[in-house]
Amino acid sequence: MCLKLKMAASAVRTVTALRTSVSRPIAFVRKIPWTAASSELREHFAQFGHIRKCTVPFDKETGFHRGMGWIQFSSEEELQNALQQDNHVIDGVKLHVQAQRPKVLQGDQTSDEDF
Amino acid sequence: MAALLRPARWLLRAGVAARLPLSLRLLAGGPGRPHAAVCQPAARAAPVAGQLLSQVRLYAIAAEKKNYLQEESTSQRRNASQFDWALMRLDNSVRRTGRIPRSLLQKVFDNTCQSGCPGSNHALLLLRSCGSLLPELKFSERTEFVHRIWDKLQKLGTVYDVSHYNALLKVYLQNEHKFSPTDFLAKMEEANIQPNRVTYQRLIAAYCNVGDIEGASKILGFMKTKDLPVTEAVFSALVTGHARAGDMENAENILTVMKEAGIEPGPDTYLALLNAYAEKGDIDHVKQTLEKVEKSDLYLMDRDLLQIIFSFSKAGYPQYVSEILDKIAYERRYIPDAMNVILLLVTEKLEDTALQVLLACPVSKEEGLSDFGSFFLRHCVTMNTPAEKLKDYCKKLKEAQMHSSPLQFTLHCALAANKADLAKALMKALKEEGFPLRTHYFWPLLVGHQKKKNVQGIVEVLKGMHEMGVNPDQETYINYVFPSFDSIKSVRAILQENGCLLESNIFSQAELKSEAVNGNLDYILSFLESNTLPFSFTSLRGSLILGFRRSMNINLWSKITELLYKDGRYCQEPPGPMEAVGYFLYNLIDSMSDSEVQAKEERLRQYFHQLKEMNIKIPENIYRGIRNLLDSYHVPELIKDVNALVEREKTDSRKTTQLTSSDLESTLEKLKAENQPIGDVLKQLILMLCSEENMQKALELKAKYESDMAVGGYAALINLCCRHDNAEDALNLKQEFDRLDPSAVLDTGKYVGLVKVLGKHGNLQDAINILKEMKEKDVLIKDTTVLSFFHILNGAALRGETETVKQLHEAIMTLGLTKPSTTISSPLVTLYLEKDDLPAALEATIECYEKYKVLPRIHDVLCKLIEKGETDLIQKAMDFVSQEQGEMTMLYDLFFAFLQTGNYKEAKKIIETPGIRARPARLQWFCERCISSNQVETLEKLVELTQKLFECDRDQLYYNLLKLYKINGDWQRADAVWNKMQEENIIPRGKTLRLLAEILRNNNQEVPFDVPELWYEDEEYSLNSSAPSVGETNFQKDLSNACQKKKSKDAYNIFLKAQKQNVVFDSGTYNNLIKLLLTKDSFTEAMQVKDCAETHIKGFTLNDAANSLLIITQVRRDYLKEALATLKMALDLKQTPSRIAVTRLIQACALKGDLEGTQAIQKMVNGLEDSIGLSNMVFINNIALAQIKNNNIDVAIENIENMLTSGNQTVETQYFGLAYLFRKVIEEQLEPALEKISIMAERLANQFAVYKPVTDLFLQLVDAGKVDDARALLQRCGAIAEQTPIFFVFCIRSSQRPGKAQTLKSLLELIPELSEKEEAYSFIMKSYVLDSDVSSAKVLYENLTAKNVKLDNLFLKRYAVLLKKAGESVPFTEPPESFEFYAKQLKELRENPL
Repeated sequence: MCLKLKMAASAVRTVTALRTSVSRPIAFVRKIPWTAASSELREHFAQFGHIRKCTVPFDKETGFHRGMGWIQFSSEEELQNALQQDNHVIDGVKLHVQAQRPKVLQGDQTSDEDF
Repeated sequence: MAALLRPARWLLRAGVAARLPLSLRLLAGGPGRPHAAVCQPAARAAPVAGQLLSQVRLYAIAAEKKNYLQEESTSQRRNASQFDWALMRLDNSVRRTGRIPRSLLQKVFDNTCQSGCPGSNHALLLLRSCGSLLPELKFSERTEFVHRIWDKLQKLGTVYDVSHYNALLKVYLQNEHKFSPTDFLAKMEEANIQPNRVTYQRLIAAYCNVGDIEGASKILGFMKTKDLPVTEAVFSALVTGHARAGDMENAENILTVMKEAGIEPGPDTYLALLNAYAEKGDIDHVKQTLEKVEKSDLYLMDRDLLQIIFSFSKAGYPQYVSEILDKIAYERRYIPDAMNVILLLVTEKLEDTALQVLLACPVSKEEGLSDFGSFFLRHCVTMNTPAEKLKDYCKKLKEAQMHSSPLQFTLHCALAANKADLAKALMKALKEEGFPLRTHYFWPLLVGHQKKKNVQGIVEVLKGMHEMGVNPDQETYINYVFPSFDSIKSVRAILQENGCLLESNIFSQAELKSEAVNGNLDYILSFLESNTLPFSFTSLRGSLILGFRRSMNINLWSKITELLYKDGRYCQEPPGPMEAVGYFLYNLIDSMSDSEVQAKEERLRQYFHQLKEMNIKIPENIYRGIRNLLDSYHVPELIKDVNALVEREKTDSRKTTQLTSSDLESTLEKLKAENQPIGDVLKQLILMLCSEENMQKALELKAKYESDMAVGGYAALINLCCRHDNAEDALNLKQEFDRLDPSAVLDTGKYVGLVKVLGKHGNLQDAINILKEMKEKDVLIKDTTVLSFFHILNGAALRGETETVKQLHEAIMTLGLTKPSTTISSPLVTLYLEKDDLPAALEATIECYEKYKVLPRIHDVLCKLIEKGETDLIQKAMDFVSQEQGEMTMLYDLFFAFLQTGNYKEAKKIIETPGIRARPARLQWFCERCISSNQVETLEKLVELTQKLFECDRDQLYYNLLKLYKINGDWQRADAVWNKMQEENIIPRGKTLRLLAEILRNNNQEVPFDVPELWYEDEEYSLNSSAPSVGETNFQKDLSNACQKKKSKDAYNIFLKAQKQNVVFDSGTYNNLIKLLLTKDSFTEAMQVKDCAETHIKGFTLNDAANSLLIITQVRRDYLKEALATLKMALDLKQTPSRIAVTRLIQACALKGDLEGTQAIQKMVNGLEDSIGLSNMVFINNIALAQIKNNNIDVAIENIENMLTSGNQTVETQYFGLAYLFRKVIEEQLEPALEKISIMAERLANQFAVYKPVTDLFLQLVDAGKVDDARALLQRCGAIAEQTPIFFVFCIRSSQRPGKAQTLKSLLELIPELSEKEEAYSFIMKSYVLDSDVSSAKVLYENLTAKNVKLDNLFLKRYAVLLKKAGESVPFTEPPESFEFYAKQLKELRENPL
């Protein structure tokens, strides 16, 4: 039980870590068919660039994911490549892809007064 | 009631065929052969649904009306709103799909049960839902469900009436439930319920459903004797009855009988006949009958044909289905009906027919459109349709291009329902068709077993995976396998035993991760030591960090780190161990919270020391990251320990000691003298001076050591100059900064500061250059930056600097520093609005639309145009808006503009335009606008005018109105809203009720309803852009909680605690706390909270209510100057202070003789008197009082006399109350003044026939106990005795305060005729009772009885209670009812005199 909680927590953290990273080029993908998981997503999006991280969190209560995932590219350009393509289809299902909107702006941590 | 039932029993017992009319006796021929319950109308779901809902609505309305009339108890009201919720859920479902999912019904049922005692309409709704609206349930299950509901609700206290019994009967019929009608009637009798026509009709149908014509006839005969009409429904039932009795001839004959009885057979009768033939498999007769119907003017709907299909299929004649399908017209509502029949067919295990109907559905088969048939597949899975059949169905659906991935979908259903065998079969099918089988397909199955800790089940799944060639990955093991086992060792053993442990490497890594997460570092260490496989450290990092944090063994931490760092198997690829371990340390600390790091500080130090001893190094850049982390966690003490690990020796050691600027300066000079580098110290000193805001000194220092200046110092200096509005130096510094390092970038705020100061000083080109630089250097533009841009532009617009606004705006937009928005462009319009140049303002708005597709300040422009009556321009604006944004938008714009400008008639006309419908977002926008500018009347008008607006969310509008009333503390109007909502039959949402309750409670009023539980929705907080952290919300919640409960000490303590932890609340919370503290007279604490709020929230102000309380408290403490200042500030903020606050302040000033202050207040609130509710008399009284206090008695008197005798009176003489002035003069013993006032009053009475002042004076004298003076006055001025209305008001007021019995007694003695006036004596008695003055009461009573005055019950009741309390006997019969009863009686009597 405890382990499960921990794992869930770590999954959540991974996602939040991805989310909070402001400048990182992340695509937020919805409507992922249940048949696809992170490796399928990774495979599909690899055509647009190098994928640093790909997360599709699973619900530990049901064993299914909730149809959402995050893909972190290594550059903004690669993300734009992915976003510019209209049709993303995995297993015959059209995905909804959009840029991850930074939720929390962490502020500019390095101030020029640190020079 | 039992007596009424008796005939029914008699009817059921006796054989009464002889009494039946001839025609029916003929029909009743053949003995009823009991049939197996075959199908009966099942798919007439939609009409049933429609009927259900319309009836339920009637009930709802009836319930509402009842509520309104009866002033019902709160629980009833709550039931009403809950009922509404349930109705809405079920209604939506039925309307959309023609059915109710079982889970929804269950949910509504559970909710109903939790709510306590469900109302009878609620019960009806639930019962009625258990029939054909549940096609996914077997008949028996539905009946079981209805019985469960029936029993449960009865237990909860629901009282059933005949409608409930009839509903139950209907459900029985729809579900083909076999039951004994006799028993049913007996049950009704037992419950004392009288059956009605509908009951009998349905009982006939029940008999007919089983072919029992005899039983049906008995009831029919009884209906005849009762003269109950026999309707088509009865005949249709008889058709079914005869048919099921095997007598088709008589079934057919019923139609003739009907016609003879004067009832034409309708579609229902024909449908009964058609179903009867279908049940016999008689396709020929079905066709004939259909033809007959076609030729008649009757019309069978698709839904009816679907029912015939069901009948054929259920009776075992699926071969005829296609012939009926051909006849379907595919009406608009066909799909939901077809879906319901399909579901029902599947429930009845007639899947093949179901598929046939499904495939015939006219759905668009274009590529890319959504799949159809999922509901069928899912229901097949639920009903355990065999796998072979399902695979076949999938194939057919795919071939028909109805569904793109039926197999996958079915597999999903099977997995979700945990049907392992079916899932396995489907996966095999998928594999055969060439689809990949993925590991996560097995996870739902594992989850199913995991929940029950079913080890065997898990092993089975793993075996299955193995069979299908799918290998479990690490995640599978860690998340879905290991948790069910006691230890990982046992997993390994069991898996090996079962031969499904192939990829031992994956298992080992999963094991390693799992152990790491569990904090089993011993295992990790030994694994890493003995491991021979290639291994990526990064893949382990996350788990290892968790493991470290769970283990306390620092030695193991270090040993593992050392191994990873030094062992050739790990971390050896580029970028090498230093990077890897450094990054690991960074992540380790990053993953911990600040409190965790603080708690583990000592351990971490130990760890770093050990690492140092092991000679482990980390790169400097990573060290910096760690340093920042530790800094932000407030554990800078650890920094030096990490610093020891840094590879390079020379690092800038952070100065932790605090130095003063003068210390630094002397150090600087010393270094300079020693010719040593001074850059660092110089920068530090400059930063310090900047933080001290010492611009002069900082600039001097810079000039002195210019050659040693670094970028950082410049940046700070630039910012300082901007803050000090020093454009020249700021620009110079910026140029020097650029020369020093052209690539250096300032942070956003500093650029914005530069733009602002340069723009303000007219250096437009320089400002634009800064904007350009921001773009070129890609400076981060945040929301706040955009807001700053707006403020810069808006400031310039308000100053009327056209060029500045235009050029800067243009630059910002062309550079693309922000996206176009109404906000950023609004200064372009403001510019002209401020100058009252309306044509240009409109032009500017339109231009913005053409350029940026935004219409800034259109509302304000329109308002101004309307005010100025610029018809042509309004027309132009409207044409433009309607053309660009549509007519509806235009209408709303116009509506709001009219409202805003007070042209309510015009607004009304607009909102009544046919076809206009509610636009919630726009309405909300206007509401919020009204709330923020406290426009009560405008908002009230909005709410009033939108009453009939189509689809208007009334509750939301009233909610907004309440929000505004809350701000103003206006509980009376809030209370009126509550009544209006009832009048409009609106069911308030919980939040509305809570808000209303809060307003009433805040004003010490009783809350006349139950406040919905889910209390305190933090709505205000959720509006905040930055979500508060957990700690903050807790503080906030606790604080709000304490405030709500009026626990001022608790609330204050929470505030102090939060303050210590630097937690800041929002202004609403501060306001609430301050209000609470002020009401509890904790002035000092309140001011402390205010100070705190002001330092933390820029522009924090107290709201209306808080400011009013503050004024009251300040007055109470005699801080009049401060109170005056508070009032002024509140008024400057366009707040409306409460009447009591203003009055108290005026009175206090006047009493002090502060005439200036009093008059100043009058000036301040000039024009607001009505909204505050301030009578002009307050000023007249108090100004006079202040003058008198300053010994200007004559001036005061002259003023008053002038007011009363000159032609232009502001206050009518009968309302010219000077009681306050007189009272104060008497109280303060200002004898000379009293004398002069008395003369004035008499003069006014005698010469001008103005009696109000003299009567007031007389009464005040009486009240002050100066009876002799009063008598003398009365003698001098006999007309006083005739001022009865004034006396009445005085009596009423006095009777409400204790201790006035003596006053009233004196009054009666002076003016005895008063005691005979009904309005007076009852209040005088009330006062005597209040003061327990028995003897005076007796005198009054005897006096009245002696004069034969007829006394009302309320008077007698009061007197009787007084006597009884005093232990005396009551000389008459005490009226038996309560005070309230008689009070109400009296009131009604007065309102409607007989």
